[in-house]
Amino acid sequence: MRFWVAVILLITGLGFSASGVLGILRMPDLYTRIQCSSKTITMGALPALAAVAVAEPSSVVIPRVLIIAGLLLVVNPAASHALARASHMRGVPMWRGAVRDDTTERPR
Amino acid sequence: MSAAMLWLAVAEIALALPLLGRLAAGPAVGDRLVALNTIATQCTLALAAFSYVAGRSFYMDVGLWLSSFSYLGTIVWARYLERGFL
Repeated sequence: MRFWVAVILLITGLGFSASGVLGILRMPDLYTRIQCSSKTITMGALPALAAVAVAEPSSVVIPRVLIIAGLLLVVNPAASHALARASHMRGVPMWRGAVRDDTTERPR
Repeated sequence: MSAAMLWLAVAEIALALPLLGRLAAGPAVGDRLVALNTIATQCTLALAAFSYVAGRSFYMDVGLWLSSFSYLGTIVWARYLERGFL
């Protein structure tokens, strides 16, 4: 039972990690690549860490898994936001099919 | 269970390998930073899975340090790109 729970969590994490990596490789724009990176963290890393915690629920593994998961959840959005803001201020171009840019023009 | 965890570690490393192409060919600095960030996350997951395979919790500490310093590095890089100084 515990084995299958761990395997399901593991396959979920690997699938979302693979889709995130594919997005980073294939997306046309820096900002969309940042979005794919965030998805890789939230839905790819947390189920894989939960799979490790389910596989060996001891007092040695669970606090470390919780610390890593909390760190990823807190620091990754901050890093992504800072990176997107800095790139936009430096003038990294958006995709030519992008519709609107709320940071430089007022929305209608 | 140990075989599944070993496969998880190998698959995460295999997912991190194509990102080296984005790291080499990213047109902007931000692209390289995103690729590097994701590689560090995959290595953290691989270390967490490998700590189960090896039976030592030391590898999970290594993963914790790796992820924390990777994100601090990304934030410092973003600050440098935005202001021009640290």
